Amino acid sequence: MIDPGHGGSDKGSVLGSGVTEKQVTLAFARELRKELAERGIACRLIRDSDVPVSLDKRAEIANEQRPFLYVSIHAAAGPSSIRVYSPYLSKPSSPPGLFVNWNSAQFPVLERSTAVARSVSRELQRKNIRVVGLSAALRPLIHITAPAIAIELAVPSHSAATLLTEKFDNPIATAVAIAINQGHATGGQP
Amino acid sequence: MIPRSVQITLAFLLATVLLLGTYILHVRHSEEAKTQAETAETITSPQAQGRWEKIRILVAYDDDQTLRWRDADAFLPTERAPRAKAILRVVLSQYVQSPSPHPLASTADIREVYLLGQDTLLVDTSAAFADAHPSGVLLEQMTITSLIETLTANLQGVNRVKFLVEGRERETLSGHADLMTYYSASEVHKFARELE
Repeated sequence: MIDPGHGGSDKGSVLGSGVTEKQVTLAFARELRKELAERGIACRLIRDSDVPVSLDKRAEIANEQRPFLYVSIHAAAGPSSIRVYSPYLSKPSSPPGLFVNWNSAQFPVLERSTAVARSVSRELQRKNIRVVGLSAALRPLIHITAPAIAIELAVPSHSAATLLTEKFDNPIATAVAIAINQGHATGGQP
Repeated sequence: MIPRSVQITLAFLLATVLLLGTYILHVRHSEEAKTQAETAETITSPQAQGRWEKIRILVAYDDDQTLRWRDADAFLPTERAPRAKAILRVVLSQYVQSPSPHPLASTADIREVYLLGQDTLLVDTSAAFADAHPSGVLLEQMTITSLIETLTANLQGVNRVKFLVEGRERETLSGHADLMTYYSASEVHKFARELE
């Protein structure tokens, strides 16, 4: 499940030259979907057009599908690099009950999420792409019941428009797809 | 034809009414000014008890996307909540000045800090703090981390921190960093280590 961040009136950050985050996240998500399809992995986008989707709704859509992996896509202006985030989540104060706690739904699979994030970072490094691995308090990752990561594409403002071209996205999307494929092939243990 | 004596009486009465009206307005304005001055004196808060201290603040640098410790002098009240507010304002002052290592709106501010139980702080920020915050996962997280880490480094016993904007809960800081959560001081310490 790929989730291009923002959409509709929520433009996200402005990356420069009239390019907004919502455009870049959708372009990259489509590219990643194509790369995954070439490797035989079917995937869905939370949004495939310029429409607003609330954070809770994104989590609902993802959880209904019970995906192998949830990938949230973001973009920001800054020195050229890729940031791969694993979810920030404190240990729930109460033990798990009959129902899954919405605010700690991610907790049971947190270690797998962290492992996927590491795997994606390693693959990007192999491609000589500058990557930083961090944890982040980012919604809706904490509500997702499947392993979940977020990817933030950072580019200098003057070259923001290149993020919308296939040439820029290709090596990054390819590396992410390879890492996901490896995880998929090993039954979710990247 | 109105007799001359009546005309003079009417003119005199009219002049008297105008003079009295002007005098009443003057008295009213001066009384209002006096009342305002007295009220202003009444609501002036007493001098906070505290002292100047040297503290360590964790400052965000956008250029190389790092957090770095710096020394700062600050007048810190002895009470916990005002002390927390003063500490946070020292960090924020680094970001609202120009040039800034991590620019935020010049009107970004900490409105109030509330103590919830013994170990939890609610930090109420101004609208400008969130509305005009640069958007981005990392940029937003750097702000949150630098504020919480500085707070816990200079105020003992703080285990959880939550942010409000103009007294209300808000989903994210500027589209990314979660503001609904209670940040755990120990987890934020891990974020800080990743970015130092």
